[in-house]
Amino acid sequence: MTSPAKADPDVVVPPRPRPRRGVSLLDAGPPIALVVIFAVFAALSSDFRTVGNLQNIMDAAAVLAVVACGITFVLMMGSIDLSVPGVMGASAIAVALLVANNRNGNDWGLLGILVAILLGAGLGLLSGMALVSLRVPSFMTTLGVSAVGLGVATLMFAGVQPNIDDEMLHGWAVHRFLGLAYLTWIAVGCVLVGWLIQRYSRLGRYAYAIGGAEEVLALSGVKVAPYKVAVFTLAGAFYGLAGVMVTSQLSAGLVQAGKGYDFAAITAAVVGGTLLTGGRGGVLHSAVGVLLVTVLTNGLVQVGVSPYWQGGVQGLIVVAAVSAAVLPQRRRNQVTK
Amino acid sequence: MKSISRPTAAAIGLTLAAAALAGCSEEAGGTGGGGAEAGGCAPEDVVLVGQVRNESNPYEAAWLDGGDAFAEQVGLSQDRLTYDGDSTKQQEQITQLLAGDTECLVMNILPNGDSDTLPIVEGAQDAGAYLVTQWNKPADVNVTDYSQWLSHITYDGVTSGQQIGDALAEAIGGSGGIIALQGILDTGAAKDRFAGLEASLEENPDVELLDQQTANFSRDEALAVTKTLLTKHGDDIKGIWAANDDMALGALAALEQAGRDDVAVVGIDAVPDALTAIGDGSMTATVSSDGPWQGGIGLAIGYCVATGELSVDDIADEDRAWFAEQFLITGDNVGDFTSPEVDAADFECDNVFSRSQGAIS
Repeated sequence: MTSPAKADPDVVVPPRPRPRRGVSLLDAGPPIALVVIFAVFAALSSDFRTVGNLQNIMDAAAVLAVVACGITFVLMMGSIDLSVPGVMGASAIAVALLVANNRNGNDWGLLGILVAILLGAGLGLLSGMALVSLRVPSFMTTLGVSAVGLGVATLMFAGVQPNIDDEMLHGWAVHRFLGLAYLTWIAVGCVLVGWLIQRYSRLGRYAYAIGGAEEVLALSGVKVAPYKVAVFTLAGAFYGLAGVMVTSQLSAGLVQAGKGYDFAAITAAVVGGTLLTGGRGGVLHSAVGVLLVTVLTNGLVQVGVSPYWQGGVQGLIVVAAVSAAVLPQRRRNQVTK
Repeated sequence: MKSISRPTAAAIGLTLAAAALAGCSEEAGGTGGGGAEAGGCAPEDVVLVGQVRNESNPYEAAWLDGGDAFAEQVGLSQDRLTYDGDSTKQQEQITQLLAGDTECLVMNILPNGDSDTLPIVEGAQDAGAYLVTQWNKPADVNVTDYSQWLSHITYDGVTSGQQIGDALAEAIGGSGGIIALQGILDTGAAKDRFAGLEASLEENPDVELLDQQTANFSRDEALAVTKTLLTKHGDDIKGIWAANDDMALGALAALEQAGRDDVAVVGIDAVPDALTAIGDGSMTATVSSDGPWQGGIGLAIGYCVATGELSVDDIADEDRAWFAEQFLITGDNVGDFTSPEVDAADFECDNVFSRSQGAIS
């Protein structure tokens, strides 16, 4: 019998999460990258550094910011969420059919928006339940829920595009307050709410802890499953709101409303410093990532990079930005996979 | 023991798969060369099948409605098949169809992509079913090499791109700056349509292309791209050329949010929302391929050959793979297209090739 005190030297003990004090060097990477990219574009293009374009960047970032808020909580737990296209599609069509529209006589106004967000939350709940009760990895459950959402959306779509006539919802995209569209202020509000949940609620703190060391949390007597379900539900609600926002912008409910937002949001979160392995980053990190990605898209158009080159150039800059952002933590020497 | 060991399960799975594959190929081979030479089906024995991606797309739903209209005209009914834009599902449906009675089977097919066309064609050739395909075909595959593949119909993207380019130039008074929203850059449709715009720009030297960006045929992406271009070029933009209507509608939303109502917008495809926008004057022009006609014409060609009214040998080579006529829709004629109807005369056997704009070069 070996002595229990003799530790196996091959077992790598994960470093204990350090207490977070103020802004560490690790958190400073993405904001610095944002400032650098911004400065480069501003120097290259006089069109880029106008007030109008700044407003445009903020407006363009709105939907992605809301999606990123939701997905950040899932990523913090170390799970992944690919349900965005389905959830956004379902809520986009649902809201278009519930507010005043050209398909039916509904005119639910705010209540319709609320129902669409709840539908998103419901689909998120489904992802979470499948994850904890069937023990299917989040990658698969959320992919399945995305298909379910798209299916629901296609059924409701029924061959005729619903166009919204609702003045309020349409106005969110058109009317401005302090230079920014209402939708942009909604996104700012989401980031704020997301940050408060992450920082001050048990849900947010447990999401961190689950991503950091789920076993430890479970061993200390915390029932992890309900928090996982709650996180997916919260994320679904954010996606639902994002679907509503796309509908507001396009004045029409589209099944494809969320196309591409899943990977855009994951990219933004990772660029901002939220790790796919969980336990790190947060809503504010992801918000910086969203701005970085949006500035990049906008800047490449403004400086006049040919569309044939943009995809490739954008990819290269994202990879460069991520590697610059994770540079300070290279010494943690995590396995890259 | 409640579970099977992994190697056993794998072996069983492989055996099943092999059996299934063998079954398929036997069925396909068994009926090979069936009614190829016949051409003498009784009209009531003809089976009409229309297959498109999905009915949630208004254009493709209208296509199938056109097929129904033709079927009704000859006292038959059409099987409406959809494959959700999934190539595998499309091939499965075709295999199932061809495994049944194929002697008087007429198929009007929208292949999902270029590479999906050849398996469908070879299946139909072996089974002796009559086939007409539309839109997608690899350039190096010749319709004339097959006796059951009666015709391939598509549309010249260069022409449509030029038609809306000219309409846009006219709308802005022949001079001024425009921006272009391209489709998915590596698709033939996007390339051809943009080549059409370039041809139009040569004809209209005072129209200047300020910028061109891709929005991947997407309404949502077009919104963001247009907003960016509006901040970049501001009031210099007099018109927006979009390679499809979805992007044109996205551009319209961007213009509204920017408070601009002095910009002309054109697109292609004639989706219902675009027709509405043209009707109320917010959009300038679009181009229609006439979906209901497409749904009817493929069945009509097959029906004519199956019943012997037309013979494959008598169809001229330039009618085996051809560009069909497309229609520019502006505020003047939009009323004719908001509820499209098929004209029975278009589907008469000596009329089926009347919309040809020439062979595909």
